[in-house]
Amino acid sequence: MSFSSEIRKVVGDHVLETREEIIPYLKDASYFVGDMPDMVVLPGTSKEVSEIVKLCYQNDVQITVRGGGTSLTGSSVLTGKGIIISLARLDHIYETSVEDKYVVAEPGVRLDVLNNHLLQFNHFYPPDPASSKSATVGGTISTNAGGLRAAMYGTTKDWVLGLEVVLPTGEIVQFGGKTLKKTLGYDLTALMIGAEGTLGIITKAILKIWPIPEITGRIQSYYTSIEDVGNAVSGLKREGVTPMIAEFMDKISLDSIRKTKGLKFPEDAEYMLLIDIASTVESLERNLQYAANILKKFNPITVNITTDKDEMAKMYEARKGAYASVLSERESADQYLVLGDIVVPASKLPSAMKQIKEKIKAYGGKVSLYGHIGDGNIHAHIFANTNNPEDMKKVDSLQMDLARIAIKHEGSVSGEHGIGLEKKELLKEEMKARNTMGTLEMMESIKKAFDPKNLLNRGKIF
Amino acid sequence: MTADLVEQLRVETEKCISCGFCESVCPTLSASDYVSIKGARGRVLLGRAAHNDIKDKGRTELKIADSFYSCLDCYACVHVCPAGVNAGKVSDIAKRVITSGNYTKKDQQKAVAKMIASAIMKHKNPLGLRKESADWAKSFDFDDDSSTLLYTGNMYQLMAYSKSLGNMKGVVGDKFTDIFAEFISKRPSLIKMAGSLYDFPTKESMESALKSIVGLLRKAGIKFRYLGEDEPYPGTFLYDLGYVDLFKKYSTEIFETFSSAGIKRVITIDPHTYDIMKNQYKEYVEGFDLEIIHYLDVLKDLKLKESDEEITFHEPCHFVLRDNDYNIPKNILSKAAKLKMPPRSGRSTMCCGGPNELLFAGIAERVSNERFAELKRTGAQKIITACPICFVNLAKDRSVVDIANFLAEKAV
Repeated sequence: MSFSSEIRKVVGDHVLETREEIIPYLKDASYFVGDMPDMVVLPGTSKEVSEIVKLCYQNDVQITVRGGGTSLTGSSVLTGKGIIISLARLDHIYETSVEDKYVVAEPGVRLDVLNNHLLQFNHFYPPDPASSKSATVGGTISTNAGGLRAAMYGTTKDWVLGLEVVLPTGEIVQFGGKTLKKTLGYDLTALMIGAEGTLGIITKAILKIWPIPEITGRIQSYYTSIEDVGNAVSGLKREGVTPMIAEFMDKISLDSIRKTKGLKFPEDAEYMLLIDIASTVESLERNLQYAANILKKFNPITVNITTDKDEMAKMYEARKGAYASVLSERESADQYLVLGDIVVPASKLPSAMKQIKEKIKAYGGKVSLYGHIGDGNIHAHIFANTNNPEDMKKVDSLQMDLARIAIKHEGSVSGEHGIGLEKKELLKEEMKARNTMGTLEMMESIKKAFDPKNLLNRGKIF
Repeated sequence: MTADLVEQLRVETEKCISCGFCESVCPTLSASDYVSIKGARGRVLLGRAAHNDIKDKGRTELKIADSFYSCLDCYACVHVCPAGVNAGKVSDIAKRVITSGNYTKKDQQKAVAKMIASAIMKHKNPLGLRKESADWAKSFDFDDDSSTLLYTGNMYQLMAYSKSLGNMKGVVGDKFTDIFAEFISKRPSLIKMAGSLYDFPTKESMESALKSIVGLLRKAGIKFRYLGEDEPYPGTFLYDLGYVDLFKKYSTEIFETFSSAGIKRVITIDPHTYDIMKNQYKEYVEGFDLEIIHYLDVLKDLKLKESDEEITFHEPCHFVLRDNDYNIPKNILSKAAKLKMPPRSGRSTMCCGGPNELLFAGIAERVSNERFAELKRTGAQKIITACPICFVNLAKDRSVVDIANFLAEKAV
C-alpha cells in the first residue's frame, strides 16, 4: 500500500494532493515561500494525528505542522521534502471552568473564537497577538506569542497549564494539568511553549483564563521625537502605572492606517502612543488622568483620553492589522515586509530607541517602526524586495544591527515571533554575546531526545 | 477587456500579506472542512498563482473553478482585511477569467452555471418560468399607468423551484446533474420543464410574502404597476457567475424595456435585486437613470403594533456587507418587537449559505446550519429574514418568518 493510501486509511478524504489545493500552504504571513509538500493532511482527532505521525516515523517522512498559518518567521512552511499536517479541523472547545479558571481547547481554535466563547463567562484568555483573529491556540503556544496585552498579562507561557502532545513516534502524552500548581520533575509543558512544533504536536491545551477587567479607558498621545516616546513609557512604569496595553506606532504605520482604515491622527505626529488602562468603574477617570499627566511631561503634541467603546474598538482593530496595512506604504509592487521583533527592558527604551533610529537612518531604506512598547517589544518592518539577494543582504545586516542593540540593552533578538527560518543567525548571535553557546547545544540535545530522526519541523530554530 | 482581467487579478491579489484575517470570517472555509482554497485566503493565494501562470505561460493549468465558484460572494472578508484586499472580488474576477475561456488550459465553466446563463439569455428567467412567476399576483389589480414599478425580479417566485431542483440534485448526484445541465445549456427551451417541479410549502410561503409586500405598500399609500408575465429577471446570476459580457448586454435590454414602458422608479423587494440594480446597473448600463429603492424605504413611517415578542434578524449580506449599509429593516423591526441581534450582525453578519445551493449543496447546507444554530441561540421566538434565498436556506423550523409577513401581521 502506498504512503498516500495509508494516510487516507486514517483520515479519509481529508488529504490534499493536487497543486491547486496545496498552493495556500506554501505561505504563512512571513515572506518565506515553502517547498511543495507531497500532501497536506487534515486530521480531525488526536488519535488521527498520532496515526499519521506513526506512519511518518515508520517511513522517515518529514512533517511540518500548521495552525493558523500566521507565522512571521516562516515556521509553518515546509523546507525540503515531506508533508504538512494542518490542525485546522481540531477546532473544538471542550470544557470551561470559571471556578478553577481554565478552558480546554484544541489547537485549531482561533484566539478570537476562544475569547468570544469566554465572553459568556465574563472571562478571557489574555495572550493577544495582533493576529488573534486568525492565529490559533496551537500556533500561539508554539511561538510563545505575546501581543498587545503582554504589558500587563505577560505572554502565552504564563497562561498554559497543560498540554496533550503527540510525540514524533506517534505516542500521545499529557504534560501539566488543570491545577495552577504541579511540581512533577521537569516542566515539559514549558518546554513545548515556543518550540515551534519541533518537539511534538500539540493536540489539546488546558489554558488559564482570567476575569475581564471591569472597564478600560484609553489615552492616545502624539510625539515628534522617538526618545520622548521611550521616556514617556519608562516614566509611566516608574510612576507605578501598569497599562493593559501600551503600543506605539510611527508615521509610516499611522499613514497606512489613515489610508486603509480612514482613521484620523494629527498631521504633524511622528509617533503615537496608545495606552489602555484597566480599572474599576469608580477609579477609571482618576487613573486615566494620572497616566495622562505623566505622559504630558514628555513633550507630546497632544494627549487625548477616550472611553468611547466604538472609537476604541476601531483603533484597536486598526493596530492589530497594522502589519498588513503597512504594506500599502511600499514604494514598488516587488517590495515585501521583513519583520524585526527585538525586545528590551522598558527602562532601556529611551536609549535603545534612539540607537535603533540611528541605525535605520544609516540603512537608508524605508522602515516602519511600531510595537508593544509597554513590554519593550519593538517591531522594525523593513520594506525590501525579498527576491533580490543584494537587498536582503542589507536587510540581514540591519536586522543584525538591531539585534545587537537589543542584546546590548539586556534584551533579546526575538520578543514573540520565534526563530523559525528567519532568525537563526540572530539566535546564535544572542547566545554568543551572552557567552552561553552551551544553551544552544542543550536545545539541540533536547531536540535529539524528542525527535532523533529530526522529522518534526526540520530546519526551524536550528 | 479580457487582458484587463489578468491585470485586475494581479492588482487585487498582490496586496495580500497572507495574514489570514479574511479566512477567519469566511463561511465556506469551515463548511468545506478547512480546505484552504475553499476559504478566502486560499482563494487570494490561488488567484495570485493563476495570475503568475497566465503571465508566464499565457494560460494556467490550475483547476480553479471549485475554489472560486464555492465563494458565496458575501464579502465578509472585505471588512476584516487590513491590507484592503477584496477576496470576494478576487472570486468575481477569477470567475470571469474562467468564463472568458482564454486563460485556462481546459474549459472550467460549471455546467450548471452555463445552463442558468443560457436560460436567462433565452427566457429572461433562470428557469424559463416567467409565466409561473406571475401566478401569485392574479388576484391583484395594479396601477398600470404608474411610473413606479414593483419589481420582484422573480426572486421570491424562483425559490420553490430551485429548492426542488436542489433536492433532485441530491438524489441524482453531481455527475448526472452536470450531464443534464450541459445538455440543457445547449437547448435552453427545455429548462421550462422545471415548471412542474416545485416545493409546495416554499411556494406558499414565498407567495404569501409577495402578497404581504403589496399589502404593505398599499397601506403606505404607494401606487405602482407590476409587469406580470412580462417581468424579467434582473440578471444577477449572469453577474455572479462571471458572465459579465452577457450581463452588460442583458442589463442594457432590461433598462430599455423599463424605460420604454415609462418607468422612472423601481421598487425592489429582495437584497440581491436591490444591490445589483443600485450598484452594478449603474456601472454596466449606459445612461442608467432609474431610481432604485427597496420597498422597506417607503415603510419607514408604517404604524406597527408594539409587542414584547423577542425576535432576531438575519441581516442579508447584500444589505450590509456589499456596497450598501442598509439598516432600515433593523430600525423598523425594533419598533414592533424586542430585537435580539445575533453575535454576528451588522458588518460582521454571516451568510445563509446561498445562493450556491445548486453548485455546492454540501457547503451551502453546512453554512446555513451554522447560521441557523447561531440565530436560535439568541433565544428569540422568531427569526426574521429579508431575502427569499436566506428564508429558504434558514427555514429549518417554523420560527423563520419573512419580514414582509411579520410586518403585515404587525401593521396597524
